[in-house]
Amino acid sequence: MISIAALVLALAAMNCSLGVRSLYVRILGFIFDYATKIKNDKELSNESSDEPSTSTPNSSTSNLVERSSDDPIEMTSDTPLVSGSTKNDETKSNETNETSLETALDVQQKVSRGSSQSDIQFRLGDIMDYTRQGLEAIVDDEVTKRFSSAEEMAVWNLLTRTQQQHEYFSLRITALWFLGFCVRYFILFPFRLCLFILAILWMLCSAVFLKYFPGKNAKLRYGFYINIVLHRILSRVFSAIITYHNTEHRAKSGSICVANHTSPIDVIILSTDNSFSMIGQKHGGFFGMVQRTLSNTANHIWFERSEAKDRHMVAEKMREHIQVKDNLPILIFPEGTCINNTSVMMFKKGCFEITEAPIYPVAIKYDNRFGDAFWNSSKHDLFQYLILMMTSWAIVVDVYYLPPMTIKENENSVDFARRVKAVIAKQGGFVDLEWDGGLKRALPKEDFKQKEQRKFYEMLKTE
Amino acid sequence: MGSNASIMLQQEDLQNICQQTGFTTKQVQRLYSRFKTLDKRDCGFLTREDLLCIPEVNINPLGERLIDVIMNDYGENNKINFKQFIFLLAKFRHGKVKASTTEFNTRECKLRFLFDMYDRNHDMKIDRNELLEVLKMMVGGNIHEEQIATIADHTISELDKDGDKSITFEEFCKTLERIDADDKMSMKFLS
Repeated sequence: MISIAALVLALAAMNCSLGVRSLYVRILGFIFDYATKIKNDKELSNESSDEPSTSTPNSSTSNLVERSSDDPIEMTSDTPLVSGSTKNDETKSNETNETSLETALDVQQKVSRGSSQSDIQFRLGDIMDYTRQGLEAIVDDEVTKRFSSAEEMAVWNLLTRTQQQHEYFSLRITALWFLGFCVRYFILFPFRLCLFILAILWMLCSAVFLKYFPGKNAKLRYGFYINIVLHRILSRVFSAIITYHNTEHRAKSGSICVANHTSPIDVIILSTDNSFSMIGQKHGGFFGMVQRTLSNTANHIWFERSEAKDRHMVAEKMREHIQVKDNLPILIFPEGTCINNTSVMMFKKGCFEITEAPIYPVAIKYDNRFGDAFWNSSKHDLFQYLILMMTSWAIVVDVYYLPPMTIKENENSVDFARRVKAVIAKQGGFVDLEWDGGLKRALPKEDFKQKEQRKFYEMLKTE
Repeated sequence: MGSNASIMLQQEDLQNICQQTGFTTKQVQRLYSRFKTLDKRDCGFLTREDLLCIPEVNINPLGERLIDVIMNDYGENNKINFKQFIFLLAKFRHGKVKASTTEFNTRECKLRFLFDMYDRNHDMKIDRNELLEVLKMMVGGNIHEEQIATIADHTISELDKDGDKSITFEEFCKTLERIDADDKMSMKFLS
């Protein structure tokens, strides 16, 4: 055990890889394909003959219901080329509403209409679109499904947690699953646990080292390397296989790095290649202890929950940090909460208001086949989540560094945030949504409904 | 089905539902997993609050009215279980092709649902008050009370053929004759 630990430590320090994990993942890939083939064969034989069986499996982002084009309520501004303020968006969607509803009304018997504003006509059929859209939203909406693990996968990866319904397919599959279970829980898990302990030891030792080492610059100079080694060990804990793209756009000191957020592991993934100063709310308990220890190796910005509401203070702290010469780049997740890696939701404009620093966007795309990294915080707490991660097969992830962006002259921070979001969405193949990630726990504001009422009123007026 | 959501969809139930509603097995399974996603507390039924949590329904001016109709007419005691849920949704399958029509998704069923959006006291008539309520929901504070009343009166007088100052189901259907209600009120369920 100790020799393996030493080996891992050495590999982490030197940034080498033995290629064990890649080989492992390839073998797993074959096994999964085999298992899925058995499953599909079993399923086809069970299905009734009148169903034309589709051989194309469901993708994780396919919808339950096809949205019609006359939806009166539109929330997505999915054209990244739209410049200017949100006012343009509103008039744009109003126009499409009018033309689509207009064709329906042509069919209807038109009673003579006055041209004066007071002569508004309401038809009983006007509720149809809203009713239908409401029903469609109940069946399938863009937001709710982002807060739970993405739907069924084409290839089953022998984890019951990803199966929607665990049916007994065949003896072979169950045997495979059981074998997989044993391997994961009794071989992989203890091994990973040891590595995890190693990582904690490293963190503690380095914290002690830096505290008592003379010289103020020690923290900044050594902190960078200590952090990277720590995170490389941690990434082996989860059997993470990370592929970096475009490393020439790695974030530099004095800048802000933004990325889409899927899980706490995002930080580990990004930190294996670059060191960051993190910014976030002070947590209590286990996570809080982690935060305090990490603060020994780098200048992180943690703030109290009450302070978080005071955006100016946080922005000030960020500005101060950026101005210090050798400070690490700040890592921030503007969505504010974990989303399930199929979409990017609204970026909070806070960090985009700091115009002195360039923004380096990063897109993080997980491959769900070997382990679903999404943290559903209403379902699992952090500890359970970590156990789940340590008993998955592996975490396979693609990290795309993107060229730095700065705010344009006539752009406000909201539009800049939107622009960065669109770039990340495009690179990662995510759905670009305007909805706020805060909807995970809170209801939309009244304003939105009033906006919809206004739109309807405008439409009635202009008929 | 029972009230225990962790009971998975049994094979015979599944077949029964498919036969009666016309959905395919895959569609029912996907709708079942959607039901479970919405049922956050995992209790086997959905409540008004569960449905109101869906942002797109929440901001829809008719969102609450739609949920009222669903809860009162298809569920009971502010609860709707999966069976009721899927029979409700079965109404909105496309009925164009002869083979895909069951007793649930005829054009009349769809129109009836729309009628029920107005007619909450179930007297088979949309009276002035019911129309006013819906109008207020749709336009919010953008039109004055008196003007809304005028609009409502105008609509009723246009459509009321038998002079009872309210709109019956037949008059309702007549006015929507020219619109392809079947198309507009249908959802294309993908599998």
